[in-house]
Amino acid sequence: MKRIVILALVMMMALGVVGIASTPAKAQELKIGLVTDVGQVDDRSFNQSAWEGAEAAAEALGGTADYIETKDPNDYATNIATFADQEYDIIVTVGFALGAATIEAAKTYPDVHFIGVDQFQAEELPNVTGLIFPEAKAGFLAGVLAARLSKTGVIGAVLGTDQVPPVVAFKEGYEAGARYANPDISLLSTYHPGGLDKAFIDPEWGAATAKQAMDNKADVVFGAGGKTGNGALEEVARAATAGKEVWCIGVDTDQWETVPAAHSCLVSSAMKLIKDGVIEIATLVSEDKAPAGNYLGKVGLASFHDFDEKLSADLKVELEAIKMLLDEDMIDPLTGKMVEDMEPTAEPTKSN
Amino acid sequence: MDVILAVINAAIRFTVPITLGAMSGIVSERSGIVNIAIEGMILAGAFTSFITNILLSTPGVPEFLQLQPIRLGVAILAGAAVGAGLALLHALLSIRFKVDQIISGTVINILSAGVTGYLYIGNQNSLGTLPAVVNNPFTTDQGLLYYLGAVIFDKGLLTYLTFFLVPFLGFCLFRTTWGLRTRSVGENPRAADTLGVNVYRLQYTNLALSGILAGLAGAVLVLEGVSFERGMSAGRGFIALAVMIFGMWRPSRAFLGALLFGFASAMQNQLQFFNVQIPHQFIAMLPYILTLVVLAGFMGRARPPAHVGSAYEVE
Repeated sequence: MKRIVILALVMMMALGVVGIASTPAKAQELKIGLVTDVGQVDDRSFNQSAWEGAEAAAEALGGTADYIETKDPNDYATNIATFADQEYDIIVTVGFALGAATIEAAKTYPDVHFIGVDQFQAEELPNVTGLIFPEAKAGFLAGVLAARLSKTGVIGAVLGTDQVPPVVAFKEGYEAGARYANPDISLLSTYHPGGLDKAFIDPEWGAATAKQAMDNKADVVFGAGGKTGNGALEEVARAATAGKEVWCIGVDTDQWETVPAAHSCLVSSAMKLIKDGVIEIATLVSEDKAPAGNYLGKVGLASFHDFDEKLSADLKVELEAIKMLLDEDMIDPLTGKMVEDMEPTAEPTKSN
Repeated sequence: MDVILAVINAAIRFTVPITLGAMSGIVSERSGIVNIAIEGMILAGAFTSFITNILLSTPGVPEFLQLQPIRLGVAILAGAAVGAGLALLHALLSIRFKVDQIISGTVINILSAGVTGYLYIGNQNSLGTLPAVVNNPFTTDQGLLYYLGAVIFDKGLLTYLTFFLVPFLGFCLFRTTWGLRTRSVGENPRAADTLGVNVYRLQYTNLALSGILAGLAGAVLVLEGVSFERGMSAGRGFIALAVMIFGMWRPSRAFLGALLFGFASAMQNQLQFFNVQIPHQFIAMLPYILTLVVLAGFMGRARPPAHVGSAYEVE
């Protein structure tokens, strides 16, 4: 009896732990497998955009797409191997944390092409493409927007962890953008104290921290850290609904679609166009033109939605202009300084 | 002044779920059952409270059920009930089937993460969460009164309930028959049994209470906080256990531990706001370091209930 009960429990656990979903398969077609970071393909953020990219690419290229949701960081390699052993053509691994496991797998399975979302490739491997984004540029735009919106001159940022370079880049860009727009701005930025396993799934911490920032007079909060950031957006939205003049800015995807509870404060989101990037690389792979090393994706601000009419035309023009300068690499998103001409000049006043 | 207020309010908010979790641990361990399943019970409680609130918020539900006190009341009770249910499962496994209590607790943690993750639905909006019981009646130009008011008022029902529960539980544990029996079963179930205490019944009851408290900790996260997310308990159940040991299995001291943790978290945020960079890993370590300090005997001897962790066999 005791054994049966335990066995039943173990079975129930097993059901909860592994979830492989698949779209209907056809024979002999391009097969794309996606391994998420600790998170789900419907996380309304990062993993979801990558999954949408994989699905769209599979559809466009006449193939199929499947995913495995990682439940435990120890399973990265196993989950990747599950796809590789089934002879998938392309394996997308989502997130900085899977970087090492992806490179390992690429060496083991030279016939499979790997797309590592947010994984900077220090060394070029022929069958790995790191899809990376200039997060600092998106953060810079968000910072300009925040500083222009703020009436108190205090703005906040609730962030995941500084162990993830893209999060740091968002923060640095945000702060540089805010100072660019208003040199006297006061910045309240906080990273989650936990490790990779908690920093992105702790919305209550994000909310409490956003509240603390607002109690410190911040009236714009940038939430950049998965679910933790979403919690911050929700908290600011609650204050906005209660009549406070506060705004929030989302991250990674257009969070208007992903966090409906934040509509009352969400002006825009600092977006990484992950879906587009995955489709572009997958298409190149299918044409045997796979870029090795790194592939630079695009960033930008999401639509202003309900706030479109409330933002001044001047501000929109300014944001457009700055985006253009950023795209042309004429502003350094980490310092806000104009980049001087490339030609060597007598005066070494060059900004980095 | 605003800064102090911001820190105090954030500290209170960080403290509440940890406190409830620690109380949950005390009720269980004082009766001789190790409960490392608090984390899972918090998660399951949060999920249930959230989903109940969402379901009652959908159009088509009878109007009286959608009234705020009823809707949120049911959501709180549902969270507590699921916490109790999981705790009773823990009790069944560890008392009836004599499964190692650590294993049984781990099973519940994993089960809870799996099931809530599977049943999770995103993108949901409810009709609202717990409002402040009383709003701060003072305005900013009343100076000190405003700041006092901002600390005392503007809080949700469960926060007040938590602050009431700490002394109440302390009283029950050390001044009532139930408390005496609980402690005696935790120390020496054989002696308690000989004197006519129904050991199993008491353990089942205490586990259910423990589950209710953990379920409430989950309810706090979603009804005074944010939407449910997978894994959103984010280690609070384990911090609660650390705090319980820091408190040497006493409600008041455990509360102090939780407060210390909450305050440290709030201070850490505030220091980052001021751009004072101390490695935030220190804050993450704090509850466990405090526990080590206590266990190492620097603050007097921390002695768990003598019989905690082993199943009791009636002869």
